[in-house]
Amino acid sequence: MSGDAVARNNAVGPVLRAGEVADAVVEALEEDNPGKEFTVEDRVAYVRAETEGECVVRAETVARVLGRPFKIAELEVNLSSFSGRIETTDDTMRFYFEKRL
Amino acid sequence: MLERSEWYDIARDTNWTPSYVSQEALFPPEMGDPYGIPTEEWETFDEPYKVSYREYVNIQREKDSAAYSVKAALARSKFHDEADEGWACVLKLHYGAVALTEYQACQFQARMSRFGPSPAMRNMSVYGMLDELRHTQLQLFFPHELVHRDRQYDWAHEAQHSKNWAVLGGRHAMDDIMMTRDAITSSVMVSFAFETALTNLQMIGLSTDAANLGDHTFANLITSIQSDEARHAQLGTPTIEIMIRNGRKKEAQQAMDIALWRVWRLFSITVGIPMDYYIPLEQRHMSFKEFMHEWVINQWERQVQDLGLERPWYWDIFLLDIDNHHHCQQGGIWSWRPTVWWNPPGAVGPKEREWLEEKYPGWNESYGSYWDVITNNLLQGHEEKTHPQCIPIICNMCQIPISHRPGPEWGARAYQREYGERRYNFCTEVCRWIFDTDPERYKDHETIVDRMYSGEIDPPTLENVLKYMGIGVISEGGRDGHDYGWVEGFRAQAAE
Repeated sequence: MSGDAVARNNAVGPVLRAGEVADAVVEALEEDNPGKEFTVEDRVAYVRAETEGECVVRAETVARVLGRPFKIAELEVNLSSFSGRIETTDDTMRFYFEKRL
Repeated sequence: MLERSEWYDIARDTNWTPSYVSQEALFPPEMGDPYGIPTEEWETFDEPYKVSYREYVNIQREKDSAAYSVKAALARSKFHDEADEGWACVLKLHYGAVALTEYQACQFQARMSRFGPSPAMRNMSVYGMLDELRHTQLQLFFPHELVHRDRQYDWAHEAQHSKNWAVLGGRHAMDDIMMTRDAITSSVMVSFAFETALTNLQMIGLSTDAANLGDHTFANLITSIQSDEARHAQLGTPTIEIMIRNGRKKEAQQAMDIALWRVWRLFSITVGIPMDYYIPLEQRHMSFKEFMHEWVINQWERQVQDLGLERPWYWDIFLLDIDNHHHCQQGGIWSWRPTVWWNPPGAVGPKEREWLEEKYPGWNESYGSYWDVITNNLLQGHEEKTHPQCIPIICNMCQIPISHRPGPEWGARAYQREYGERRYNFCTEVCRWIFDTDPERYKDHETIVDRMYSGEIDPPTLENVLKYMGIGVISEGGRDGHDYGWVEGFRAQAAE
């Protein structure tokens, strides 16, 4: 057993309840964060979407993907958790780390 | 209409200069901030996850209507008629341990909403308080329809009013971190250590297995609950940043270290045992250890570093405990099954043991050797030999039996401390360290075994002890959930 088992990663992103909003958010993330690679892990009841260091979800993009109006505050209904830290504005949610490892 | 950001800062700024009473009388340090950090510093508190009251009400209504509609839609399904007793154990244990603990959390949030030194903290914790009330109501209501089918579900409401040994453990920890600390310390302990690190395991990790099993009501319920936690847990982050900036890193670190360990010891039982033993093998998605690595080692520990705290000093002991503690307690709880309110299956047949060995290399020669004896007794028709004839030694901090990995050498030992009139026993260095941080705070609490000797349970006969713990009163105690069916695989192997 070693004390080295600590996070040496900068993975950030939302953990969403599986469903149409989760699918739309993953699509929106890829569109709104050009050049970023996302890993998406499907855990049956939830989906974990992660990328390096920072990413933003925009309500406008999620709304377009869903084909219906969508306010960023509504994301909370499906946002069970997230990795990294969070920042909320009137129409975005950002996940980030202040320090990069 | 104005955007939220255009009015938010003004609306939440509710600090004023009191003229009828002193500032200290309005915000007593022992209830709010005992560290003497200046008010102007607390006014910089900027919660990262913002919501307005209007948004809050709309969103919560949507969450609640979804949770209740899924329940209503599936109420007529035959799920519970056909579900494995192992899964029923997960539910009975979950609701008994969690439902009214949420109500304690409601009081913890209420304390922050009244005594928090920052107006932003007071504002956000009003939502937190309403969140926890919602969780209490949901988790009392959902199991209620199951009580007519099985009285053990009644522990959802009764457990926290009982003196069952498992409840004493939960209550001791929750009283310590949520009920008897000031707003600032408990925010570090609960918002950051408890709600950011460990509730994810109970409320999201378990949902994967629930969905695999087809219990969509429960999967939907717990992930809905966790969406509230994801928001109000963010109260911890600015609290810690302000403490560090004002020379209180040591105190923040100690609060986090105490709380993570206290809650971990409970969660390894309420989530660890279900994931690796109660959930039928075919429906297990990952092991408890794998979930711990996903949520705590990777996700949470990285947040600790980002905030500027250190991982807890006992990290190596913690990693070792992730490999061991719930395996020990599965053995203990199963052996003392008449003392709990669920029917724990041993669930260590040949296939399950193969899976355990794969996920926890070395399981067979350690934990397996304990179950070998039990399995042989059952195969030979000596069920009576599977019930221990002695009383365990209970840790004076976590209230859980002191245990250790079995094998050729059994390394169990009690970490002891003499204090005042008596000797205290602890399961690990960590539980003893917590006691040492404030012996006066902890010294008078009696474990269930202390109560057998102190006259609290008098006379301490088996019958009286069980009754004291609510067994035979609230419901019958536990039996093997599969009526020992899991040993049949070995009988078949022997016949071949």
